[in-house]
Amino acid sequence: MNKKFLGAWATFEYLDDMCAAIGELKGAGFHRITTHAPCPRHEIDHALGNPQSRVPFATLAGGVLGFGVAVLIITKMALDWVLPVSGKPILSIPNMCLVAFVFAILTAVYFTIGGMFLMILRDTCRHPVPQSRKYRDYDRFMRDRFGIVVPCENDELEKIENILKSHQAEEVNIEN
Amino acid sequence: MNQLTYGTINDKVVNSLEPPGRSWIVSMVVILGALSMGIFAWMIQIIHGLEWSGVNHPVAWGVYITNFVFWIEIGHGGTMVSAVLYLTRARFRNSICRASEAMTVFAVMTAGLFPLIHLGRSWLFFWLMPYPNQREMWVNFKSPLLWDVFAVATYLSVSMVFFVLGLLPDLAAVGDESKGLKRLLYRIAAVRFRGTNHQWLHYVRGYLLFAAVATALIFSVASIVSWDFAVSSLPGWHSTIFGPYFLAGAIFSGCAMLLAIVIPLRRVFPGFEGLVKIEDLESVAKMLIFTSLIVTYVYAIEFFMAYYSGSQFEKAIFWFRSFGEMKHFFWLVVACNSIVPIALWSKKVRTNIPALFIISLVILVGMWLERFVVVVSSTAHGFDPFAWATYQFEWAEIWITIGSFGWFFMWIFIMVKIVPFIAVSEMKERLMPPFRKRK
Repeated sequence: MNKKFLGAWATFEYLDDMCAAIGELKGAGFHRITTHAPCPRHEIDHALGNPQSRVPFATLAGGVLGFGVAVLIITKMALDWVLPVSGKPILSIPNMCLVAFVFAILTAVYFTIGGMFLMILRDTCRHPVPQSRKYRDYDRFMRDRFGIVVPCENDELEKIENILKSHQAEEVNIEN
Repeated sequence: MNQLTYGTINDKVVNSLEPPGRSWIVSMVVILGALSMGIFAWMIQIIHGLEWSGVNHPVAWGVYITNFVFWIEIGHGGTMVSAVLYLTRARFRNSICRASEAMTVFAVMTAGLFPLIHLGRSWLFFWLMPYPNQREMWVNFKSPLLWDVFAVATYLSVSMVFFVLGLLPDLAAVGDESKGLKRLLYRIAAVRFRGTNHQWLHYVRGYLLFAAVATALIFSVASIVSWDFAVSSLPGWHSTIFGPYFLAGAIFSGCAMLLAIVIPLRRVFPGFEGLVKIEDLESVAKMLIFTSLIVTYVYAIEFFMAYYSGSQFEKAIFWFRSFGEMKHFFWLVVACNSIVPIALWSKKVRTNIPALFIISLVILVGMWLERFVVVVSSTAHGFDPFAWATYQFEWAEIWITIGSFGWFFMWIFIMVKIVPFIAVSEMKERLMPPFRKRK
């Protein structure tokens, strides 16, 4: 069962206002911030402390696994039914590399997708967002507005509201 | 880009997704007519066999393999724009990347049909898959045709995922702009993407990795398709230049097809003129110039290599291509791919939309013929004069070829009304974000 969200969320018209608000919120000890933006912006990453994604590890794992599996498949197939063709080796490494390379890319791609979705899911679970209808139906985050969601305790709500308002938030919504 | 804002980009793209008008319906009828004729011709060929195509002995590869190579390489051009230019941060890419990704997927889908059509007994296509047959014999990994199966299947899979992944933020944006059932469907398709920092962080990194692996993939797939020819010992095919030759040709034809798709779209949807700038099209034209030069260089160096190799067979095949029965095709190729693109050196031509459109169509014709000359001439004019032959087009393969264009454009026309054909979030990245204190 979902725990009820306690915190505040605000929308901003300007990116620099939102980045300044993030800076002040972090300075005040609020680190579980979720932001919204219509497109990726480095300014937001800088304000959040340049978080790093671990998706490349999933890609690497997929690539290595795919290459290895392809080598095993080709070796098994070549040795299971030997096809001697003139003086060519039964188990040809150049041919093997070719198919293994392509297979490595295929698995790397699917591992990247899997890694991406899992990491997004993990981060979303760690950073709760409001379940209210107003938040869910707000439809300008992917259009032209920026947003901040901050979970907090009851006694911190006023402090957060003041910070957000001091940075010209367009609207501030308290969820409790 | 000054008049554009985040909001107006959404509006222009959402407007393009309005229910289709009369011109769309008329075009679709023509497209479906071409596709139906192609399917009819294929059915006739399945009933009567490959004698209804032009393939014969010794010309075992004809129009179908030409089409396969042509469409695969259209796809490569699309990946070049969507992936390679993403890695190089080319700004002109943002407005055309969605069209190029869609073009890649549908071109590879079209290409994938041709080995099946060429099989004759198409229903036995699964023999190409790596599974042991009745005698427990596995497939032969030393065959370039099997490399093709892996390469093309991987390429189709990767380009589809790349296309869908790129769509997620834009589907979310369109969902937010829609009402009722449409809103629900787009939101479901966007898998709850709402532009949070966690989503963007992993999405952007994943997309970058996708672009990197897709880049490696186009180099390998273009090379593998070229090795279908190059690893044989036929004169005219057995050449180490085939890998880069096919890759350059792929980018060349892909960029031409991209212009042939984007220019009409820009005309049909008035909002797109503000998004796809003339400068963007001009940059694609510059890529055409560059790849045309590479292709022209290869045409020339192939003759030199034939001369310098001292091999009479090599000399004979290149003489045959340029002065034999196929001379009309060959010189048309040179005219379309080497001479006509010279016009693009002029900025006036590069920035003239109708001229760009016509040149892109001419290049497409030239590239199809180039593949035809490469595929057919070497088998028609091999080592033994006793076994020389000619190639005659048959009506079935002509209609199947026209039908393949119908199949390709059917998907483009359907998609243009379902998904945003301009990458909304990438266009926004190109804009200066809204700052209260102007930077």
